[in-house]
Amino acid sequence: MPVVLGFEGSANKIGVGVVRDGEVLANPRRTYVTPPGTGFLPGDTARHHRAVILDLLQEALTEAGLTSQDIDCIAYTKVSKILVPISVLLGPGMGAPLASVAVVARTVAQLWNKPLLGVNHCIGHIEMGRLITGATSPTVLYVSGGNTQVIAYSEHRYRIFGETIDIAVGNCLDRFARVLKISNDPSPGYNIEQMAKQGKKLVELPYTVKGMDVSFSGILSFIEDVAERMLSTGECTPEDLCFSLQETVFAMLVEITERAMAHCGSQEALIVGGVGCNVRLQEMMETMCQERGAQLFATDERFCIDNGAMIAQAGWEMFQAGHRTPLSESGITQRYRTDEVEVTWRD
Amino acid sequence: MGGRDTREGRGLLQRSQEAREHSGSVCRTAPYLVSTSTLSVPFPTPLEAEIARGSLAPDAEPHRGAVGKELKVSGSVLAVCWRAEDSRLLRVSIVSFLEQLSLVVRTMQRFGPPVSR
Repeated sequence: MPVVLGFEGSANKIGVGVVRDGEVLANPRRTYVTPPGTGFLPGDTARHHRAVILDLLQEALTEAGLTSQDIDCIAYTKVSKILVPISVLLGPGMGAPLASVAVVARTVAQLWNKPLLGVNHCIGHIEMGRLITGATSPTVLYVSGGNTQVIAYSEHRYRIFGETIDIAVGNCLDRFARVLKISNDPSPGYNIEQMAKQGKKLVELPYTVKGMDVSFSGILSFIEDVAERMLSTGECTPEDLCFSLQETVFAMLVEITERAMAHCGSQEALIVGGVGCNVRLQEMMETMCQERGAQLFATDERFCIDNGAMIAQAGWEMFQAGHRTPLSESGITQRYRTDEVEVTWRD
Repeated sequence: MGGRDTREGRGLLQRSQEAREHSGSVCRTAPYLVSTSTLSVPFPTPLEAEIARGSLAPDAEPHRGAVGKELKVSGSVLAVCWRAEDSRLLRVSIVSFLEQLSLVVRTMQRFGPPVSR
């Protein structure tokens, strides 16, 4: 009955979770929210995480009713393929926040003399999605501010069937929110979703599916230009733009997911990642699944959005399968893609 | 080494200017001038110094080519030594390290002392 402690802090959410045999015992989380019109930068995000992480750790242990000696393994996000575009260049990612969290994981692992396990962020999402929903072998749509991939499991790897060739869908939504100065509290995507419900007019936007892949930076440039012009002439409202953007990008995601499902003969779809909280996306995916006689699985905001328990859950699977991360090899990296991890815990 | 008026001196000045022009936002002096910086952090016991090293050493420097650091433990002291060709990146690396070090120390204070091995 191993108990695994999981640390996650790759983007602006920081969470510490505790999992024992498929049961989530604690999962506290804090979000670093920036003012409307701004995004979160690595240095400030790291500062936020450093300020709250020890309180979160204590909260997790208390909520789980455990002491440090009850923990069998310390898991942390070692690999995050989160590329955060800063201005027009793809930045190297959120190294500082990731490192701040890793440093605490390594310290407690050594203080309590427990094994350390470095986890791939995407695999954390997938394993938590599988655990919570019970989906057996779904086609996974992983959509967040930092990632957009369609993934299916085959022969010990999570294979990437399709992905964004530039920015993540969540990044497209978040940056559009900045243009309209939409609040980032609780998250820009959530506020766009609420505004979209009031939208009435569908503004035509570029639709950019490229085979199995998608592209969002063109749509973003287009809507940024169009927004200024159309809002000033009163041709449409901000709500109409939110509605139009969602309908367009979500339709693209449904298309590439369906393509992967057809390719694999899959009867299950699972949405993970922060954008997976979006009820409109879930509705559109459900429609597609029903047309195919397939089943849709999704989780709620506790597990869709980055959290510590998902890292603990992936860590639990890896720990049971005998994985360990020696301290000397525990450095954080953005290099290993989802499909480079040996998934030894599944057949 | 000659003064500016000698051919050798003009060569050095030219290389230094070229380095400045090509480096963009990097504040390099002549390419062969390396700055070093050392920091000695005392801990209550050798084990705690070793734990700090274990936590802080694994993550690579973001600008590996321009800044490098080495962490060593001797006795109860964690010794850190930087080598850098660029003064701005050196400053950034040191500040970043101090922030991480502070986090490690606070973690040890709050969740320590280390269990007996």
